[in-house]
Amino acid sequence: MSEAAHNSEGLVFHPMDQFIVRPLFGDDGVVGPLTFTNAALWMLVAVLMATLLFVVGTRGRSIVPTRVQSIAELAYGFVHKMVEDVSGKDGLKFFPYIFTLFIFIVFSNFLGLIPGAFTSTSHIAVTAVLAVAVFLTVTIVGFVKNGAGFLGLFWVTSAPLPLRPILALIEIISYFVRPVSHSIRLAGNMMAGHAVIKVFAAFAPLILMSTIGLAVTPLSILAITAMYGLEILVAFIQAYVFTILTCVYLKDALHPHH
Amino acid sequence: MSEPNDLERLKALDERLAKLKKANQPGPKVQQQGHEMANVAWRMVTELVAGLLIGFGIGYGLDVLFGTMPLFLVLFILLGLAAGIRVMMRSAAEVQRQSQEAATAARNEGD
Repeated sequence: MSEAAHNSEGLVFHPMDQFIVRPLFGDDGVVGPLTFTNAALWMLVAVLMATLLFVVGTRGRSIVPTRVQSIAELAYGFVHKMVEDVSGKDGLKFFPYIFTLFIFIVFSNFLGLIPGAFTSTSHIAVTAVLAVAVFLTVTIVGFVKNGAGFLGLFWVTSAPLPLRPILALIEIISYFVRPVSHSIRLAGNMMAGHAVIKVFAAFAPLILMSTIGLAVTPLSILAITAMYGLEILVAFIQAYVFTILTCVYLKDALHPHH
Repeated sequence: MSEPNDLERLKALDERLAKLKKANQPGPKVQQQGHEMANVAWRMVTELVAGLLIGFGIGYGLDVLFGTMPLFLVLFILLGLAAGIRVMMRSAAEVQRQSQEAATAARNEGD
């Protein structure tokens, strides 16, 4: 903030400032384990919105649904079909969990698109918790369903015996690639798009400083609009990708021999 | 409002509905293609990078633990790269299988 005051003559670029986690109460700026921050607030808002949609929106339980109820039903049907298609009938036991993940990510992504809002899914801390939860679930389910046979996933029997320990090491590392790439993908996508919008936004006030602004300002406003449209797509697609990969991992745990 | 007339109209409506349904069906798959491809590419890149990162992390940790600085780092970065490529190839195979399934499904529907 103080730096911005110093450079008030030139353009001010702070594309990453929007991702700073700040405590909402108190001025000391220290974030402890139980501090109520803007990230916590926007996650709570996401949960609240989901509750509004699914609990209050479907309260009527009408046979001919109202608009809000049909949105809820569409979302339910969409994810239900996805789980059934990707992980099979026995994957449907995990439908409530996967649906919860999808709805939380969708709401966080879209709430982050409101100007001035905080995108909680742009933080690896948030997405890593979701990804590690999926990873633990899938691993535990794999061991419960298949017993020690689940370890056969790492022991490539088609390879010659001396190569197998090295291949097992590679397989184990590649098993751990999943939660890492799972969380980096979501957070990276959300962060990159929002940062690009902020960079374009920093160019917008150029018209107040020089005549070049006559060309740059409309262009940057146009670019912000285009990026925002793209971000709306990305917000949905990334939630979809996160969910469908969860289904794929679940399928691998339920039927490891494919 | 005689009955045969109604039956005929219903049949005509059925035919029109069937035609419309058939016209609509392949639509969404084709539209999604561009995004889906971009997603697959992005997924593979993150998988490769994640493999390298994990390899680096394990190697660095072991080296700090044992005091053999470059040895495990080099070894595990290579292993991580191999693991990343392994995951990448697996998701590529998955995409290929999906597109083949879609192609056979489309062919069966065309008959």
